[in-house]
Amino acid sequence: MAKLLDKQRYKCALGAMQTVQAIDRAIPILHSGPGCAQKLSDSIGSSGYFSPNIFPCTSINEKDVVFGGVKKLDTTIENALKVIDADLFVVLTGCIPEIVGDDTGEVVSRYQEDGKPVVYASTAGFKGNNYKGHEQVIDAIIDQFLEKSEEKEKGLVNIWADVPYQDLFWLGNIKELEKLIAEIGLTPNTIFGYKNGIDNIRKIPKAEFNLLVSPWVSLTNVKKMERKLGIPYLHYPTLPIGAYETSKFLRTVGEFAGVDKDKVEEVINEHENYYYYLIERYADLFLETRVMAKQFSVVADAQYALGITKFLVNDLGLFPAKQFVVDDTPKQYRDKIKEEFENLNYGIKAEVSFETDGYKIHNEIREHDYHGYPLILGSYYEKEVTGELDGHYLNISWPVQDKVVLDDFYVGYTGGIRLIEDIYSVAVQRFN
Amino acid sequence: MSYKIAVATSDYINVDETFGQAKRFIIYEADGKNFKKLEERDVEDDFVAECKTSETGCGTGGGCGSETGCGTGGGCGSGTGCSGGSGCGGNGEVSFKISSLFDCRAIVCKKIGVSAQKQFEKKAISYFDVSCTVEEALDKITFYYDRIDNHMSLRYKTD
Repeated sequence: MAKLLDKQRYKCALGAMQTVQAIDRAIPILHSGPGCAQKLSDSIGSSGYFSPNIFPCTSINEKDVVFGGVKKLDTTIENALKVIDADLFVVLTGCIPEIVGDDTGEVVSRYQEDGKPVVYASTAGFKGNNYKGHEQVIDAIIDQFLEKSEEKEKGLVNIWADVPYQDLFWLGNIKELEKLIAEIGLTPNTIFGYKNGIDNIRKIPKAEFNLLVSPWVSLTNVKKMERKLGIPYLHYPTLPIGAYETSKFLRTVGEFAGVDKDKVEEVINEHENYYYYLIERYADLFLETRVMAKQFSVVADAQYALGITKFLVNDLGLFPAKQFVVDDTPKQYRDKIKEEFENLNYGIKAEVSFETDGYKIHNEIREHDYHGYPLILGSYYEKEVTGELDGHYLNISWPVQDKVVLDDFYVGYTGGIRLIEDIYSVAVQRFN
Repeated sequence: MSYKIAVATSDYINVDETFGQAKRFIIYEADGKNFKKLEERDVEDDFVAECKTSETGCGTGGGCGSETGCGTGGGCGSGTGCSGGSGCGGNGEVSFKISSLFDCRAIVCKKIGVSAQKQFEKKAISYFDVSCTVEEALDKITFYYDRIDNHMSLRYKTD
């Protein structure tokens, strides 16, 4: 019997249009039906230059299914190049043209031969979700846009993190990661976000190494860059939230990049001092056991499930119940991620479940004994079930309905403090 | 189960007429992936034909006397007489040209106007505005219907 998926927490691969929209002055060209485009375009999105709801689409229909849609694609690209002032056009294919066999690569290659900044990514929904689609878009840029560079810029580091817009805090996170990397004396380079566009993409091959901060997303991309562009990579699987993990993160990066140890320690010291100063001032609140739940569950993609679990255990001293990773993590990465969950301080191990079915997740949450009210950090879908259990609930993963995030972030020392603020704001509302 | 496809062609080889231009359609009968010519169907509306011969005939409508005639969208003026909405050929009624093809599953022509498109859509009749040979068009359309009627994938490699 076909498997039903209740409360899906990602989109199809064509959702990678949001990855394109996160690059300044880049625009997606969809080769898909009008329904795909309408369903996937979100009211958030865009890097500030193009509206997130306005982009070229071939709007293919029955005729294109029968006779092929390449002609329509060709005229759509041709006219997009005429009327849209963009630095990069990324053609994304939906399911229909891929099934009926439109040769999108061939059409796009003609424009590439003319020197036009057009690349093509195969993002048919049956190939995977938007995490995979995100990888496809970056792959397309590496394969079709970048050349190996002999010249390297000293200290230049490409930073790759999780999927823009799918990750609510992507912009703030990436800016904070840049800031931390810059503080230990390296030069960060990212292609997503404010004022990061085509120039940053062109700078990618000149980097000394790629820094990937994600449990699994984009791992194939950095491996590809190692092969094609000769850039080594450092894979840091845990999103560093709070002092413990961020200090570890900075030491790892510093060691990999050959930064002077004293310099790294100096930066860490300064941040930690302020971090613990803040914690200390509110120690009474944190030690008041009635305020906070005894156990917690995170229902999120691998990056937040892992990052937040480590933070809550290592920094806040809470105890983990079962954690749920909902991004349909490819099987080959699961064991490694599971190991990370079992590698917590004080010998604590967190049980983790790779589950995409919201119905099953909610049943498990209902059945677990949290020894009091639970703390659930998850998507909007978890609001109701946490309400039933009279628990603390914070919306940190997609879909997000009850929160507006402009450039807030959870990464780093400051991010850890923000997360504490958010969690305890929820908790103290119970008593006040 | 067999079904009919109407093709607008002047030379029986290429799909070379727009919907509006066509005075008659070649009706093919298809079954599975096979098709054969069934009949030639005269579809010109008497009313439109009258308009064409007489300059003043067609009410206040501006477009109806033109060469492009019915159904091409541009040709069919609005207002009274040769009315929009329900297409060329009078007040509110679907034109003879369109209704006489209601027994077909698909219409194949070089171009087709929005008004005619809408009326066919209401009857769940597909239209294909293509420029190719009649044979190519019919091959592709019958392949498509054969696959979907039998709940088979349209994946191009499977054939």
